[in-house]
Amino acid sequence: MSFLLTTLTKKREVDSIIRDTIDKVLVLRFGRASDAVCLQLDDILGKSARGVSKFATIALVDIDSEDVQVYVKYFDITLIPSTVFFFNAHHMKMDSGTADHTKWIGAFHRKQDFIDVVEAIFRGAMKGKLIVCCPLPPERIPKFQLLFKDV
Amino acid sequence: MEGLQQQQQQSKRNPMPNNEKMTKKNKKNNKTNKFEFCKVCNLNHDQGRRHIYFPNHIKSLSSYLSRFHKKLSDVRFFLKNPSLLRPEHAPRNRLWCVFCDSDIEELDSLFACGNAITHFASAEHLKNLNYFLWKYGGGMDRVDSFRISDEDVSKWEKKCESLKSFASSSSEGSYGPSLGPWKDIQNKHCCENTDSNEKNKVKSFKFSFSNSVLPLQCSTKERYQVSHPETNEIASAGLFSYNATSLPLSTEDNMHNWGMHLNKSTSMDLTASTCDPVYSGNQHSLVENSWKCSVDWSLSSEGVDRMGNGKSSNHVLQNLTQVFPLLLEESKGNVHTGAPPPWFEKNEENELNFQVDIGSNTNSLASSSSKSRMSGKLNPKRVGAAWAEKRKIEIEMEKRGEIVSSSCDTDWLPNFGRVWQSGTRKESRKEFEMEKHKLLKVECLSEGTIKLQPYISKRMRKDTGQFEGPADCS
Repeated sequence: MSFLLTTLTKKREVDSIIRDTIDKVLVLRFGRASDAVCLQLDDILGKSARGVSKFATIALVDIDSEDVQVYVKYFDITLIPSTVFFFNAHHMKMDSGTADHTKWIGAFHRKQDFIDVVEAIFRGAMKGKLIVCCPLPPERIPKFQLLFKDV
Repeated sequence: MEGLQQQQQQSKRNPMPNNEKMTKKNKKNNKTNKFEFCKVCNLNHDQGRRHIYFPNHIKSLSSYLSRFHKKLSDVRFFLKNPSLLRPEHAPRNRLWCVFCDSDIEELDSLFACGNAITHFASAEHLKNLNYFLWKYGGGMDRVDSFRISDEDVSKWEKKCESLKSFASSSSEGSYGPSLGPWKDIQNKHCCENTDSNEKNKVKSFKFSFSNSVLPLQCSTKERYQVSHPETNEIASAGLFSYNATSLPLSTEDNMHNWGMHLNKSTSMDLTASTCDPVYSGNQHSLVENSWKCSVDWSLSSEGVDRMGNGKSSNHVLQNLTQVFPLLLEESKGNVHTGAPPPWFEKNEENELNFQVDIGSNTNSLASSSSKSRMSGKLNPKRVGAAWAEKRKIEIEMEKRGEIVSSSCDTDWLPNFGRVWQSGTRKESRKEFEMEKHKLLKVECLSEGTIKLQPYISKRMRKDTGQFEGPADCS
């Protein structure tokens, strides 16, 4: 659990951070502080928070809180940790070769991977693209099985 | 013998074919064989007379001549306003005449650019000029622009003579040559400053500074120049050199001379204190106004009094052309008066801004404001550009307190594209909304059927029932 990163527990807080982060990538991690993979991801996020601070803001959202459930449903979060990227209140998608482009599921292998991903999203967003390609090679992308909505 | 004769006959018999070939070749090669150096283009070429018509040459010639023209115009200035040449400056006044390929030195001339003027009027220069124009094709009609006519020279000479006579007449106390237009003032100086123990009075006068020689403010006697005990000598000496460098003189090197002179002469007094606020950084403007700037001189008595030893008053104030800026900046103050430095005020503004930023809580606000300062113009086509602009304005207004931050309604959701196969993002959101509504309805319905009632025990019910009437009894 990183001290640098703000943890959000209410929908209002999530709303305000989405609306107030202007011209910067907003990285929202949905997860639990007690989960092992979440911890790993949080560690990487915490270490790189300062480095990307000029073009990205990072925040953690606790999925166990009631208020946030609407977001959990809205973003279709079924596996944690899930990281959703926003830019100017618009959701950014990334094609990383997995089935779900809307979020990043799992942790990152290295700090640099995370920074590369955020950079790719930032560059795409500045050019006006809503979906970007993942700069990481497939072996460093965590694999998972997507549970589709009505299944 | 016979063989030779035969050969000769042969050559006589067949002169034409060989010779024709030769001449033809020669015609082509004749001019291309010799390499010449073109002074204007600074290159060797074998194009012969054709070279001067090439566009490159024409270009370089025009720049070459215009450069020389500038130097010539400086000399012409002195032609109209002759001034006396100080011996210190003489070695620095050299001119290279491009037509004659020679240096023109001023070591032995009394007047500024004297030798140059005589040279440009000379017949030899004219001859060289003609040759140059023929060789490099400058246009033979421009001859007169590169030389000085005899009439002008004679006028100039007359002026010089008059100057000489002035110089010789005002001898008392004057150090070095003085100048014509200031003759009267000079004389006044001399009269007033005979008594060296008196302090100087306020003298302020304007003059148009159009000469290279610095005017004298008061009489100078050599023995006073030496050793004057002053505590703030160093500071003001620095100021002096400052002063001197801002003087427009014929050559920039001359300024250093003046500066040196000032440092040696130890009379800082008047100028130091008075011109402090005034020449703050305006040297540049003065340096640029080469000859014809008008410099204001104002010596306040305060400064004099401050410095106040008897010796100091009429000290070598020669070379104290106080370079006064054309815009008076006395009110602003300076380092000595303890005024804040100009950058400090700007800093204050920045500090205020920063405090405001720190006060605001989220990183995003600070980052956005700093980013708007840093990144000039963000790509207008970036994702959510319109939203960002709108939001920025809203935040500004909230900061100022105009709009109470309208907390977004609880149903606000960001633009999110769920996992979907077809349709747009918005459709996926609509789907979500619909699902939400369905869920809510279901919940409502289920809530409606169940009505919670508090448990009433049978005995209680019995009791109430007895009052009412024969009801169900156990």
